[in-house]
Amino acid sequence: MKFEDWPEEWQEWALLTPIERFRESEKIFAQYLALGGTLDPDPDPTSPFYDPSEWNPDAAHGRAGLRVLRRGAS
Amino acid sequence: MGGQACVFYGAAQVSKDVDFLILADEANFKNLHLALEVLAAKRIAVPVFDPAVLERGHAVHFRCSAPGVEGLRIDVMSRLRDLSSFDQLWERRTVIGDLDGNEFHLLSVPDLVQAKKTQRAKDWPMIDSLVSIHFRENSLVPQPEWIEFWLREARSPELLVELISMFPIESRQLQKGRPLLSLAIDGNLPDLRTALDAEVRVEQEKDRVYWEPLKREMEGFRRAEREDHGGRLG
Repeated sequence: MKFEDWPEEWQEWALLTPIERFRESEKIFAQYLALGGTLDPDPDPTSPFYDPSEWNPDAAHGRAGLRVLRRGAS
Repeated sequence: MGGQACVFYGAAQVSKDVDFLILADEANFKNLHLALEVLAAKRIAVPVFDPAVLERGHAVHFRCSAPGVEGLRIDVMSRLRDLSSFDQLWERRTVIGDLDGNEFHLLSVPDLVQAKKTQRAKDWPMIDSLVSIHFRENSLVPQPEWIEFWLREARSPELLVELISMFPIESRQLQKGRPLLSLAIDGNLPDLRTALDAEVRVEQEKDRVYWEPLKREMEGFRRAEREDHGGRLG
């Protein structure tokens, strides 16, 4: 996709300077952690480092970014 | 060199870990141990932190526990598939500084693009973004090496068509090395998309072949650690 066709949010991000991007990234990451996000890698079977024995069954939908606090009936 | 570099270059907004490409000679290895001590970094997976293992192409994985970086994962490598030696990559690096005097040493965009040509599906959109942003930032004063880089690495059909119209002579010169440029010259977007997908599959297969013996070796490391330490990492 050409830059002009990118969504507005992506364009705004790309128009920042490298240091501004890094600082903004720190803020986004702090919010992510404050919301309960973990630093575990997302399971990625296409990665050569993927080890199925490390998969965490408590991860929501197999993703490490969110944790299951309560399971519904379904 | 990985996701954090993509953040600086604008191709990502966050990365959950920090990947370092390091010079794993004896003198620097001592410095690395000291740095890992400051971060209270403990190895969390195979293989062990050993220059010989790194030199074979493995990555070593750590998790930090020092205040301020609790839980942060660090991956360390000293060699990347199809990339130059550390010294050459270091020579070509990008250095970004902030007002506090901090310096961030990043793989150059072309080297990062090469490093991202992996079997992982998530790396390929990053390449597309890295090239597109680099083109947008440098297209007003295009250097010959940048023109070649864009024509060799652009992954979007629309960007390729734009590049062809801006740099017709260079496009024809590079066709032999990247045959799909002829489809862009003809404006044949459906076949161009197919050819771009085929390029990805070829690189992914190369990466799988490269990692196959290393993965087997990692499995051996895991087995040995389970037997030696009852599953605990030393």
